[in-house]
Amino acid sequence: MVLPSWLRLPAILFATISWSLVSASTHSFENTAIVRTVDLGGSLVHVTTTYAIRALDNGVNRYIVSLGENEARSTSWFEAKLKGQNEPLSVTTRPLDPTSDGTHSYVVELPKPLSVNGTVNLVVETVLTHATYPWPKKAAQKDDQSLKYEGDLLVLSPYKTWTQRIKVRAPAPRIISYTTPDSLDEFTTDQVATKSGATVTYGPFSNIPPSASTAFIGKHQRHVVVHYYFGHPVVEIASLKRVAEISHWGANLNIQNDIVLRNAGPTLKGQFARIEHQSQTFYNRLAPHIIPSLTFHLPPGIHSAYYYDLNGNVSTSRLRVAPSVPKAAQSNQYSTLELRPRYPLMGGWNYTFALGWDSPLADSAGYDASTGFYVLGVPVQTVIPGAVVNEAEVKIIFPEGATDIGVFPPFDPTTEQRSTHITYLDTIGRPAVTLSFKNLTDKHDGLIYVTYKVPLSVHLRKPKAVSIAFGALFLVALLARRVDLSLSK
Amino acid sequence: MPASLVRIIAFVLISGAAIASRLFAVINFESIIHEFDPWFNYRATKVLASKGFYEFWNWFDPTACGVIYNILHYLHLPVDIRNICVLLAPGFSPLTAWATYIFIGIVPGYISRSVAGSYDNEAIAIFLLMFTFFLWIKAMKQGSALYGTLAALFYFYMVAAWGGYAFITNMIPLHALVLTLMGRFTNRLYVAYSSWYAIGTLASMQVPFVGFQPVRTSEHMGALGVFGLLQIIAFVELVRSHVSSKQFRRLLFVSVIGPVFSARWIAPWTGRFYSLWTQATPRTHRMAVLLMDLHFLIFLFPAGVVLCFKELRDEHVFYFAGVMVRLMLTLTPIVCVSAAVALSSVFDTYIDPTEPEVTEDDKTDVAKKDKSASTPASGATVAELLTDMKAKPAQRGIVGLDTRGAVILNALGMLLFFVVHCTWVTSNAYSSPSVDGLHIIDDFREAYYWLRENTAKDAVVMSWWDYGYQIAGMADRPTLVDNNTWNNTHIATVGKAMSSPEEVAYPILRKHDVDYVLIIFGGVLGYSGDDINKFLWMVRIAQGVWPDEIQEPQYFTPQGDYRVDDQASPAMRNSLMYKMSYYRFAELFGGGQAQDRVRGQMISNPGPSLDYLEEAFTSENWIVRIYQVKKEDPLGRDLKSANAFNQGKKRKRTRPPVRRRGLVSI
Repeated sequence: MVLPSWLRLPAILFATISWSLVSASTHSFENTAIVRTVDLGGSLVHVTTTYAIRALDNGVNRYIVSLGENEARSTSWFEAKLKGQNEPLSVTTRPLDPTSDGTHSYVVELPKPLSVNGTVNLVVETVLTHATYPWPKKAAQKDDQSLKYEGDLLVLSPYKTWTQRIKVRAPAPRIISYTTPDSLDEFTTDQVATKSGATVTYGPFSNIPPSASTAFIGKHQRHVVVHYYFGHPVVEIASLKRVAEISHWGANLNIQNDIVLRNAGPTLKGQFARIEHQSQTFYNRLAPHIIPSLTFHLPPGIHSAYYYDLNGNVSTSRLRVAPSVPKAAQSNQYSTLELRPRYPLMGGWNYTFALGWDSPLADSAGYDASTGFYVLGVPVQTVIPGAVVNEAEVKIIFPEGATDIGVFPPFDPTTEQRSTHITYLDTIGRPAVTLSFKNLTDKHDGLIYVTYKVPLSVHLRKPKAVSIAFGALFLVALLARRVDLSLSK
Repeated sequence: MPASLVRIIAFVLISGAAIASRLFAVINFESIIHEFDPWFNYRATKVLASKGFYEFWNWFDPTACGVIYNILHYLHLPVDIRNICVLLAPGFSPLTAWATYIFIGIVPGYISRSVAGSYDNEAIAIFLLMFTFFLWIKAMKQGSALYGTLAALFYFYMVAAWGGYAFITNMIPLHALVLTLMGRFTNRLYVAYSSWYAIGTLASMQVPFVGFQPVRTSEHMGALGVFGLLQIIAFVELVRSHVSSKQFRRLLFVSVIGPVFSARWIAPWTGRFYSLWTQATPRTHRMAVLLMDLHFLIFLFPAGVVLCFKELRDEHVFYFAGVMVRLMLTLTPIVCVSAAVALSSVFDTYIDPTEPEVTEDDKTDVAKKDKSASTPASGATVAELLTDMKAKPAQRGIVGLDTRGAVILNALGMLLFFVVHCTWVTSNAYSSPSVDGLHIIDDFREAYYWLRENTAKDAVVMSWWDYGYQIAGMADRPTLVDNNTWNNTHIATVGKAMSSPEEVAYPILRKHDVDYVLIIFGGVLGYSGDDINKFLWMVRIAQGVWPDEIQEPQYFTPQGDYRVDDQASPAMRNSLMYKMSYYRFAELFGGGQAQDRVRGQMISNPGPSLDYLEEAFTSENWIVRIYQVKKEDPLGRDLKSANAFNQGKKRKRTRPPVRRRGLVSI
């Protein structure tokens, strides 16, 4: 996970201060077992690692999860939980210190300190983006699609590990090839890799010393490649620009997304032949790397949805709107938008479009009468399952004259900017906040909460401006009728 | 002031009707620019809005939209530039209505050019046209240099906005000339014309597009000639008032001979002007179309003309001067004015004498009509006409209320039907976007968008010129020829490439750096406006430039039929256009008979094969097919044999490879 720049300095400070503290505690745990499951996908690879921890000291509550350099680079979501619980634990990121151990450390705060021999099961979920690539890099229109996953094999840890096992699970049993690493005899007596069904299991490896060190990584870490068939298109959103405009006069929240969609699967070999595409569609045997349509889950209660691109409205979409639900009520209902691009997206093709809708402001906003604050939740993105969003920009436009603006994103943005947005009937413009994100995954689906105040006098600014403008117009007309400029009567 | 109130209400109603009747396309379909030409203007406006005025001035005009765009944004109204372009034409129509002050507002002939979405300068130009005429007449009546100058300014704007400005350039001098010939030369005419011509011409020469044309080409010669003539006449008048009549006659004789030989290097009348006078838009070809466009106005028109002549004044001749103009666009205002004159005189005669209060009813009933009946001092020409007529009411009395009622009811009925007819025509005939004929058929935009998103930014697209602007606007790619290509050789080059066999076309394509070739093919869907049906034009135009290489008869069967099935002539079957159209077409029908739905002919089953181009994209209903031009073979083979090699065919050795001659030749 890349640290935002404004976080970096405090993080380094924190690191230097607490380094001695933490490193003193590196021998305070051991891992009795680690099981890692790598779920291979298209743009996203979901990794679940379960650490069975035993404390060797009393009162220790900071456990360090280490990720190797490559792994850390492609990790864009990191969440640690205790097994069987839903509450994520607080995690502090520590930057890579290349001179020391060659790993990125994530310091997990356990909810309560462990005493000696106390055990706990920690589940760490990470999502890797751009960890796979199509191989072969080109595929003809009717070819199958296969991807390669490349990654480091062993789970690193600053603590001694008694046993660990790594499972790589492909979406289908058709695994073309996988690496069988050699010279790991030090840790295992069995076969290093076994394949059963759609899963390749590495290990178990036993008696691994503390491995979060350059020496260990250099000597024992192995690079594995798994080549597998993938039956779904690899969807990548190169850029998502979301604009949420809050309107109190219209009691409306308008959300517009400008989306650059890319088919990140194997690029089309040769050219596109419509006749082949039509026969594939007719026999319902569309090659897996083609994106003919996408399904979006939009919020319930929306209206006036629109879908257009630079050439105007695209008529090939279908929307089923679910009725709006009250704010407090939890609901799994959503409006479904089946969206068909103008042309089927072959490998490597792009499609740029805009998708927007209006929703009642009451569905997502609340007013706290005691403090005078409005509170509003804006979803960071509309998740397309399995798709990665390379660059996201969420701009929230507040009502004109809003003050005391507070923005609370569900995870740290890379940048945050304030600006002024001017639109219809505005006099001084509306305050706007722009948050930028990188590599969003399907886990990044939280709400950005914003709070702001809008005084009554500001609400009345628009009618005032309009009446002044019209008054001025009438006055000019009045004077123009009355004043006689002719020289002679 | 009830009269003023009624006038305002009537004007608002006219404006409303004028705008609403033009929005059918936007409501039925969407805010999109249809038609082929306006896309160019749209692009031009975008440049203006984003790059600023001066840089743009060096290029071309359509300023109105850009100015409006900037003003609206300054006023915090961030309207999309496309919407401005789409709605500009309807927005200008009430202004035109106001300028002509009568019901041109909803006449179909004008609507055809100003329906929302046909973003064209012509919509503004009609307004300018009417206003320039108005100012001209005003200037002429008063002999006022001020109004002459104003007319010149609007003339200048019109020059900048529309190529058809030549219409004014000739109409005003014609008017002046006719007046002079009729012996109606006055000092007022002299002042008005001189001020208009001098300032207008100088101003129009500032437009880069026009340049020195006003003194070079013959379509501007009329104006110059009349200007000269007026100077001479004025001078002659001056001389005549000072010298005796005998001396005068001798002087006249000498001075006439001289200037005859001066006009040597004047270019022949250019085509654009011809087209204004003769064929113009294809819509005006048939009488039926004329009737549809103008409805009953066409019958009122002669009546109006007669009425104009009944009491002949200078400005009445003006309407007559327009009679010969067939271009629907410019004909419309004239017919409207005449028809309004006729109608209002009917109403005046039948309503005024006995029951003046009926006029009030009439006003509210038919908003458009009363306009002309109730405009006292506004200075509009028609209004003056009418006040004149009002001034001498009912020389011939109308007997009986029933007669009067019948006539008025009839007239009102006609007006009502006219409105219904206008609405019907607008909603049906003129407002359906030709970009996508049906709701679901959206192939054009699909293919253009594909080009835009998935080809190199600088890829050159070759297509027949009809699609040039659309490709430039929607796909944002440079094209070889477009709707504004006046160079016949360019168009013929495309025609030649399309009608030649692959190996002949390939060097042409490579020479012009063509990356993609786009064609329109309707055979799957039965879209008859496709390129195979336009193909003969390509052949003919190519033949005009290369008569040795392309001959039209070769594209017909020996029986003289234009066929695409297995009886098609070899030239037809080998042509690039044929191959691109029917490439893999037969496969669509599985093993069955492949039928072209436009031409109703069977296509032979192993269809044509392509060696030098490859299919890059075909839209959902096959209407747009895009082919990529292959690069030269890296091994230096010609692409035909390279292709055969790739398909595993054995190379036929027909003749030994040509050995290179030594370069040294002593």
